[in-house]
Amino acid sequence: MSQNDTSKTSVLTPPSDLNPRLDCPLDFRDRSWTAMSPADYAELGFIAGLEVHQQLATQTKLFCRCPSGQFTKDCDAEVLRHMRPTLSELGEYDGTALMEFKTHKEIVYRLHRGTVCTYEIDDTPPFEINEEAVRIAMEVSELFDLNLVNELHVMRKQYLDGSIPAGFQRTAMVGLTGSIPFRVPELGVDRILRIRQLSLEEDSCREVSDVGHRITFRTDRLGIPLTEVVTEPDFLTPLEVQAGARLVARTTRCCPRVRRGPGAARQDVNVSIAGGRRVEIKGVSHHRGLPRLVHNEAFRQLNLLRIREELLRRGVTDAALRIPEDGLAWERSQLVADVSTLLTSCDYQPLRDALDSDGRVIAVRLPGFGGLLTHRTQPGVTFAAEIADRVRVIACLTGRPFFVHSDIIGYGLHSREWTQVRKALRSKKGDSVVLVWGETRDVDTAAREILLRAQDALVGVPSETRQSYPNGTTGFERILPGANRMYPDTDTPPLALPDAWREEIRARLPERPWSRADRFRKRGLGLEAAQRLANSPWADLFEALDFPDAQTARRVEAAMQKRLRLHLRTSEGRLPTADRLQAWVEAIANGALRPEAIEVALDRLCGEPLLPPSDILASLQPHEGDERALAALIQRCVAQAPTLRRREEDSVMRWAMGEVMPPLLGRVAPAEVQRRLQEALADGDQEVQR
Amino acid sequence: MTKTDLYKGYREPLLSLMKKNDVVVWSEIRARTREGVFEGLVLPRSETSDAEHLVLKLTSGYNLGLRYDTIESMEEIGYREAHYKVPEKKFPFDPAKPKVKLFGTGGTIASRLDYRTGAVIPAFSPGELYGSVPELADVCNLETEKLFGVFSENMGPEQYLVLAEECGKAIREGYQGIVIGHGTDTMHHTSAALSYMVQDAPVPVVMVGSQRSSDRPSSDAARNLIAATRAAAHGDIAEVMVCMFGPTSDRYNLLHRGTRVRKMHSSYRSTFRTLGDIPLAMVNDEGILPLKDDFRRRRDDRDVDVRAVFDDRISLQYYYPSMKADVIDGLIDRGYKGIVIAGTGLGHVNRLVYPALRRARAEGVVVFMTLQTLWGFVQMHVYETGREILELGVVPLANMLPEAAFIKLGWALGMHPDRPDAVRKLMTTPIAHEILSREPHDGYLVFQGGVPEIKGFLEQEWK
Repeated sequence: MSQNDTSKTSVLTPPSDLNPRLDCPLDFRDRSWTAMSPADYAELGFIAGLEVHQQLATQTKLFCRCPSGQFTKDCDAEVLRHMRPTLSELGEYDGTALMEFKTHKEIVYRLHRGTVCTYEIDDTPPFEINEEAVRIAMEVSELFDLNLVNELHVMRKQYLDGSIPAGFQRTAMVGLTGSIPFRVPELGVDRILRIRQLSLEEDSCREVSDVGHRITFRTDRLGIPLTEVVTEPDFLTPLEVQAGARLVARTTRCCPRVRRGPGAARQDVNVSIAGGRRVEIKGVSHHRGLPRLVHNEAFRQLNLLRIREELLRRGVTDAALRIPEDGLAWERSQLVADVSTLLTSCDYQPLRDALDSDGRVIAVRLPGFGGLLTHRTQPGVTFAAEIADRVRVIACLTGRPFFVHSDIIGYGLHSREWTQVRKALRSKKGDSVVLVWGETRDVDTAAREILLRAQDALVGVPSETRQSYPNGTTGFERILPGANRMYPDTDTPPLALPDAWREEIRARLPERPWSRADRFRKRGLGLEAAQRLANSPWADLFEALDFPDAQTARRVEAAMQKRLRLHLRTSEGRLPTADRLQAWVEAIANGALRPEAIEVALDRLCGEPLLPPSDILASLQPHEGDERALAALIQRCVAQAPTLRRREEDSVMRWAMGEVMPPLLGRVAPAEVQRRLQEALADGDQEVQR
Repeated sequence: MTKTDLYKGYREPLLSLMKKNDVVVWSEIRARTREGVFEGLVLPRSETSDAEHLVLKLTSGYNLGLRYDTIESMEEIGYREAHYKVPEKKFPFDPAKPKVKLFGTGGTIASRLDYRTGAVIPAFSPGELYGSVPELADVCNLETEKLFGVFSENMGPEQYLVLAEECGKAIREGYQGIVIGHGTDTMHHTSAALSYMVQDAPVPVVMVGSQRSSDRPSSDAARNLIAATRAAAHGDIAEVMVCMFGPTSDRYNLLHRGTRVRKMHSSYRSTFRTLGDIPLAMVNDEGILPLKDDFRRRRDDRDVDVRAVFDDRISLQYYYPSMKADVIDGLIDRGYKGIVIAGTGLGHVNRLVYPALRRARAEGVVVFMTLQTLWGFVQMHVYETGREILELGVVPLANMLPEAAFIKLGWALGMHPDRPDAVRKLMTTPIAHEILSREPHDGYLVFQGGVPEIKGFLEQEWK
């Protein structure tokens, strides 16, 4: 039997955070994302994956009976908590957990009686899991062709940042290992997107403020059910990331019971390049900014790897950056010094303010880092910001600024003062010096964190989650949690998913955008148009129409694409019926409607709902008397033409066409009008010159 | 591993399937099912879950269940046996700090979760405690002793007696404080028992539990332990107390008297309240702030009066309308020696019970009256019913809490076997504030949520 076979070992390991390629092209030239080709990204070893969160439109929350999707800023009461790291099964603290604990944060939850009960604040055990949410999650899993589990096990995923009062999120695996077609003609992409998994979980709190040691959260969003769809790292360029995010969102939204509107869907994106490792950018709510964001992350990793290379070349070692764990940093290590007394006469205002309010100024020596702190890692951001970011988050320093360093010459301190500080640290040429100021406990944490980040520089790219900023750059949020932060929720029993549920869901599964697009292609549309149509709100309307031939279908799709979005915006989302449009389709097919009148006809069919379609179409087709009207209009143009004499000939013609065409649209061929106008205007000119 | 461990928790029909495929608990397997292929580690199955699902842990840490009849084949591809162990770190000794004894009885406070299986396992040695709550070393020199490993509901007279004797021993050995880790459900029963059994102690005896197990980041266990050891090591109150959260926020703990405290909410952190009086003190990061001054003070001697006796032939009857005599008769028939009634209002039962009360008195079974209202005094002279019941020999117990009275009755019967009059006398004589001579105006405070002044208070103060 296997248990006696000591040679048997574990073979299953979590997916690695490291990029599969280790050879980073360090000499790759930095450039903007618009100047990069797919081949360039391939050279960088760029890969990315997505985690797409979608709130579900259930009546109540996932584990309690509070109403779901009601949002308020009102507050009836507050609760104050702290989070403690708990030990993993290996007897170690998770890196993230420890970091959050180091911050000594007071966590304040703002409660409103209408949106939260005692469950959300972790004072009541969970109620039964919301069955409606489970069914929706199963349906979304089916949309992604995932293998459904037979029995749901609720797990606790630890979050010590305070975003969930329990310190963990309840989450359950619903489906695994699926794939969907990933076809983006404009990017030349036609392959499969692998979906790793779908889980059903509760949403977290929203941060209200984070000042010093106090972080405040609003709880109205807490506990709303959401699905998390995780893709494999199959995206090879930033534009693919964007297209993939749209595809996952559209596929999820095929299920009618998901929430829409701002904040209802958010994604995390995982990025790495050759030699780098997975970095997670959290909570990106718009698809538009994704390409620039992930591009910047790719180059941040490239620049961190360059810094690593340079540090290794200079012979900087991890051991040279370590200090004892106990006591105050400046009492235990020569890398750190308390320089408060040296700088009593300093006139740099932020530092002055700290000293005046009994703060300390601490100097940290980074051996061999000279000049690297100003190395650029993101547009407008240097490596010093990587360090400062971490110090701000973990040591909770509130001064602005709280940090200067010696790589910027002539900033902060006078050179005489820098010399004194360097002397106190026995700093050598080629070292960098960082100064931080604040309260004793905070600057101790800060000094340690500076050295820890410097150690990470030797690794290259630290495992982090980062937050995105509107300008396309990112900032440190926290250390990426390890695999040991997941453990079973002993408060909820496993839930068997009955076969009947799955059969019911499969029987009435909404059609997915790609199979719909396939059907549209059979009607004669190109791939791009077919996909565009399948994802549009008028796809049903198009489907309800009869097309005698492929060309008509293409013309109708193009006209709808051009005009209906605008119409939807002005008409509270109402589209005309298929009955109303069928005569229009036929008029296009049999040539009764001239091509230039197609869109105008559609506009009027939508915009004048009380007018019969036959009247609208008739008014856009040739009439008796059109010739007389044309002659009169041309006459008028010729009469006004002299006032435009000094203008370019082209602009005169454009003006004249604009005068003549609209009243006669669909009734006279534009080429004919142009020819007649040219003649008439030429005649008119001669008369004037005479 | 024994044979049952190989398939821990699995029964038919899965058992044969596992055997047939040479798969055991802790096998890493690849399973082909009707749904698709799943890879993961086979976990033990909970005995209380159904017999149809195989539990897999994925590499992502998630668990899931596969139903036996969807499994087409299973193949063992690896093996990883997991044993959870809390790391031990040597508890540092500081000669300048007081020596405190921590007794473990079980319950949430002394347990951790096995990450792989979800099972709760005990964690209690000083090293384990120091490993998870290092702040304890700043408070005192802690020594621990595990007396039992039972959840609250399995604590009873047998354990009370051991605990009382052990407290006496620890005091005589010179510990400067005692902390007792206990499940919260019956903590107020045990605290009452120790209040009667361990009299005139020279040092604090502090009971502590937790409402959220320490494997949860938001657990109250660490804060409760720190506050309890602080009260035991440095506090001046030498009584039996319960130390638990004041509000639900992480702000301060309260020290409640062992006979006046009661668990009042099934799951809140701030579940323990002092009834009919105010708590003894608040404990926070700064220290201990007494709220009362009528407490017994810490002494330097090692003298203590331990009276560890208990007769468990007692019952607590919660009166209900239409209660009949047969309930009491049944107890008398089965040889019960004493009954505490939790009566309605000021201390009433209906007439249907009278014959049984009469019989109890005749047969030497002592009967006492306490209140379902929890707050207030038994007053049996106000209404005729009360006077009638008094006539039948039922003894009113003033404002003693029903649980405190029940425990005291067991102890009193142990003190005076076969002497009903002596038992009655002891029951009505206050030992440890279980009977108060007066109720302060703020001894009864149950806030009414929703009214404007309480809303204002919650918004402004109760943070």
